[in-house]
Amino acid sequence: MNYPIWQLDYAGGGLLIALIAVFHVYISHFAIGGGLFLVLTEMKGYREDSPAILAYTRQHAKFFLLLSMVLGGMSGVGIWFTIALLNPGATSLLIHNYVFAWAVEWVFFLGEIVALFIYYYTFGTMARRQHLQIGWLYFIFAWLSLFVINGIISFMLTPGEWLVTGNFWDGFFNPGFWPALFFRTFLAMMLAGLFGFITSTSLQDDRFRENMVRYCGLWLLTPFYFFLAAAYWYIHSLPEPTRDLIFNRMPELVPFIKAFCWISPVIFLGGLLMAIRLPGRVKRPLAGLLLLIGLVYMGCFEFIREGGRRPYIIHGHTYSNAIRPEAVEKISATGLLQSAKWAKHKEITEENQLAAGREIFNLLCLPCHSINGPLNDIVQLTAGYSVAGLATRISCIGKGDGYMPPFAGNDVERLALTNFIVKELHNKNKQQAAAHLFRPPPPTIPPFDRESDDYVLLAWTDFGIHTITDSDADWSFRPPGSNLYALLIKRDPTPERVSERVILTYMVESSHADPAARVKFWQYAKQLIGRDLPPNTGIFGKKLMGIMNRPLTGSIFEARGLPLLPYTENNAYQPYPLVTITAMTPAGKILATTRTVLPVSTEVGCKNCHGDTWRMAEAAGLDSKTARNVLAAHDKLSNTRLVAEAAAGRPVMCQSCHRGNSDRNRAPGKQLNLSAAIHGFHAILLGDLGAESCYTCHAADPEGNTRFYRGIHKEIGLDCTNCHGPLEDHALSLLLAEQAAGKERADFLIKALEAKSSPEVQPRQAWAQQPDCLNCHENFAPPEVDTTFNQWTSDATQLFRNRTDEVGIPCGACHGAPHALYPATNFYGKNRDNLVPLQYQKQPYPVGANHQCRVCHRQDMEDEMHHPNSLRRFRNPR
Amino acid sequence: MDAAALIPLPDTIPVSWGWFQLLLLLTFFLHLLCMNMMLGSAVILLVKQLRHPAQLPPAGRELAGHLPFLIAFAVNLGVAPLLFLQVLYGQFIYTSSILMGVYWLAVVAILILAYGGAYLYNLKHDALGKRRNQLIILVTGGLVAIAFIFSNNMSMMLRPDTWPRYFDQPGGTLLNLADPTLLPRWLHFITAAVATGGLYLAAGGRWRRLEPAAAAARVTEGMHWFVGATSVQLGIGTWFFFSLPDHIRQLFTGTSTLHTGLLLTGCLAALISLGLGLAKRLWPTIGATIATILIMVLIRDLVRRAYLAPYFSPDSLVVAPQYSPMVIFWLALLLGLGIIAYMLRLALNAGKESGETPS
Repeated sequence: MNYPIWQLDYAGGGLLIALIAVFHVYISHFAIGGGLFLVLTEMKGYREDSPAILAYTRQHAKFFLLLSMVLGGMSGVGIWFTIALLNPGATSLLIHNYVFAWAVEWVFFLGEIVALFIYYYTFGTMARRQHLQIGWLYFIFAWLSLFVINGIISFMLTPGEWLVTGNFWDGFFNPGFWPALFFRTFLAMMLAGLFGFITSTSLQDDRFRENMVRYCGLWLLTPFYFFLAAAYWYIHSLPEPTRDLIFNRMPELVPFIKAFCWISPVIFLGGLLMAIRLPGRVKRPLAGLLLLIGLVYMGCFEFIREGGRRPYIIHGHTYSNAIRPEAVEKISATGLLQSAKWAKHKEITEENQLAAGREIFNLLCLPCHSINGPLNDIVQLTAGYSVAGLATRISCIGKGDGYMPPFAGNDVERLALTNFIVKELHNKNKQQAAAHLFRPPPPTIPPFDRESDDYVLLAWTDFGIHTITDSDADWSFRPPGSNLYALLIKRDPTPERVSERVILTYMVESSHADPAARVKFWQYAKQLIGRDLPPNTGIFGKKLMGIMNRPLTGSIFEARGLPLLPYTENNAYQPYPLVTITAMTPAGKILATTRTVLPVSTEVGCKNCHGDTWRMAEAAGLDSKTARNVLAAHDKLSNTRLVAEAAAGRPVMCQSCHRGNSDRNRAPGKQLNLSAAIHGFHAILLGDLGAESCYTCHAADPEGNTRFYRGIHKEIGLDCTNCHGPLEDHALSLLLAEQAAGKERADFLIKALEAKSSPEVQPRQAWAQQPDCLNCHENFAPPEVDTTFNQWTSDATQLFRNRTDEVGIPCGACHGAPHALYPATNFYGKNRDNLVPLQYQKQPYPVGANHQCRVCHRQDMEDEMHHPNSLRRFRNPR
Repeated sequence: MDAAALIPLPDTIPVSWGWFQLLLLLTFFLHLLCMNMMLGSAVILLVKQLRHPAQLPPAGRELAGHLPFLIAFAVNLGVAPLLFLQVLYGQFIYTSSILMGVYWLAVVAILILAYGGAYLYNLKHDALGKRRNQLIILVTGGLVAIAFIFSNNMSMMLRPDTWPRYFDQPGGTLLNLADPTLLPRWLHFITAAVATGGLYLAAGGRWRRLEPAAAAARVTEGMHWFVGATSVQLGIGTWFFFSLPDHIRQLFTGTSTLHTGLLLTGCLAALISLGLGLAKRLWPTIGATIATILIMVLIRDLVRRAYLAPYFSPDSLVVAPQYSPMVIFWLALLLGLGIIAYMLRLALNAGKESGETPS
């Protein structure tokens, strides 16, 4: 922001500081422990009156001097150079606050150099007592250097009271100071032993070599227990959220933590192994190997420490990209490029969008992300995203994962960054292939003679869209299965509902007749739903044509679980297939015919973030690669093995673990139900954008291939959030119910979300509790509000799809399906949804609206028997 | 683009700026003395090696032995002024460092190689055989390259007007080559180092308790280097002076009493040192040279302030007072210097104690 950014690609993400710092820290810790090693070994030589030990000490001192002076000291200066190049803002803050700490450290550095030179060059000429004094002074100066630098480093992770007081001493003697000091001191002693192996294994005399190697082994092994105890102390000195982040919620740190845990016994055993009598030519390479392992060991610790500090460079104070948390809001409002001193493209245009995107990347992302480099390669991490998916994802970085700073920029900048990543880094500038949609001519509406026909046959479905996944070899969250309902009415001033001595048949249009040719569901039915099914047969045994089930009670005929897919025989996408229902006597005389849609979609938005091709028709369908990416993400974040299971031919139904109350056959488990889990998790990543968040996944994108949100409410200008609330609230309502049911996982997700609209979101059961139509249409009157949230149906019986009017006619029979309420406007044919009302009253409005009582009653009516406010003109005519 | 708008905002300082100014000048002066001795020795060593490829003369062997020490102390004494420079002028030095990031970071690598090379040259001198020439070329060449990189950074930090070049070249590969002061600046420092190296060589002659003839020869040789370099320096210094921007140069030619007086005194001291050098009077020459260097350090600081005057001056830094850490520093410095003095005393007396059997 304040400073120019050194534009790096491969070396981005902090690679330079990682390399130089790990290198320096390894040698510098040796330079401390080794100092103690020298003076104690010299004392040992005097004590045992051993010229050999003294000669070894002197030889080791030479090795020590060269290593620590040339490599150690210079790389320490190198760290200084590097931090100012990679994060000048934070460096400036540290320098200006801790200048005198560094100045004191400089005095110790000077003392170290003088002491070390004198120690080595007067070895043998200076009297013993004085020489040991020099040795001790060296070690003390060296350890004091550690003391000082440790104050600054530990401050960065646990600044403690300094955040409030700004006081030097509060920051220096911060909560992590002492445990880190002890940890590093014991480590320094162990390293003295490791490096000692290098010199001691080169000794010529066998017996003496063994003795000295074992002596070095003592240095490695004796502090080990204290080292691990100090590590435990260090871990527990971290604030709980930081500790939780490092050990539970950063998959990137898991390999380093694992490596640290594994290498600990390896090094210990290595030290023991060195105690065994082995020839020098075996021990020397072994010493070298142990040294290398030690470097990796130290590197793992430093990576954990640095990684665990994310998203901050100074915890709680400054983000890794040098932006202060309290400045994010203002920067987002003003615009990042306007706020940054060193931004070239102050205004983003079409010509400079990619270049501006690169600048934004440099300012916000480069401190942690390389481009095609080893550290957090942004190219790899964004491999599957489309522009829409990534733009949405960027708006939510930092929420929930907890280790990224929030995006500090406005929407134009967010899009510029997205385009830079997708179009330039991923070279995805190619135009998307045109979708292969089947948009048929307007369908024939079955005839209805208002004078002479005796029957009215109403047909409807329960869901405005039935969304399924079609990558059954990988996973599924719903098998194919659309539901059809029908009601046969004998027309009369007092109409009669007919369900005896009548057969209702249904037939889906032939273009969609063979779904088994286009999906693998039936091959995996056994794994997914626990039993085999003949091809093209639904889970309740129904095919795509047949006889509707007679009701046991009441009068509604049903055909449930019809295995519809939205693909035609030409492999085009057509999510609104028609079904024709015919009512006839047992003798075969036709009483009535009607036709309606059975909407079904596979336009699931997973590919927006998990991979970028459609499976079918360039329009819809869950591609196997996308499906596997979803599983891979699940495996990484939730410690599962779903990719392996799918590859072995055992795909899962999500609900097999994410069980909810609507899965009647099984009791709920420890995991959140699917709706709570999937919305809860994704709300953290996709929230904040109103209805756009919804149709990143659901097939309601007004520019998409399904456009399922198409009924009267859309026409009057409402969107998903008017009824369902913004995604965060939508998710919170589900999570709160799960929390009340004792599911711990809900706690973490709830904390990560912020309620966007309501101060107090009310819990609700997935699927069973939804917004009640009567919240807005109080007593069926014209609504006074256009938003309802937090007022749920008490249970599933109150849902629109399960309810009836005051005389027992289901709401759907007259009003159509939710999200497609009459009059609906369908992308695949304006009136494709409105066939039933058009058939009976030549108008697309709800059956009987606009005083069309004659449809069933053969005459006008005066009393509002069905529900209040039903006898009037339709309020929103086309 | 308005260069002034690019200058980052500085942070607060914990004590009054005068303290940092004092510490910066003091530690830079010490660094410069040590760096001059180091670089000068390296140049002289290079010439000696190239002139005597078969057998380095004793004076050269001594310089080779000292070089690693001089490097160590030059670096250590460089850390302190770099620290105080960041406090007073951080927003300038960080920026110019980033603009030339590749080169700046290369300093660390070159330094490690040069330092290691210097040890190798000394410790394995005989075993190296013919490779000695190549090695000393790399070592001295490396140190001279580091000087060039430093000259770039220290001059580019004063030229915010050159910073907008970043927008076309953000990869850390900018230098300050277009600045007319760069070359004379760099050469001025190198030449001064050679002159100081000559004095170091000469002083070694006196110090080392050599035979009078050898000592005198050493002094003569050292003084030749000194006189030669200082004579050349007169020209380079003049070139450097006239490459400065007019308005800054004018400060030193009458506009400001302080500036002009200081420059005159400095030039006078340089001329006096030259005269003393011709007369081969070692310690007075060293005294006059140290005085010259001290005055030049002050002039350099004034030049820096003049460059930055349109944008910034250190007295504008906001103080958020916390004096106790500084108190601790002065105490630590006192204690540290005391202990170092003690250790040096022990070192000088090593092996001289009667009755003590060193082992």
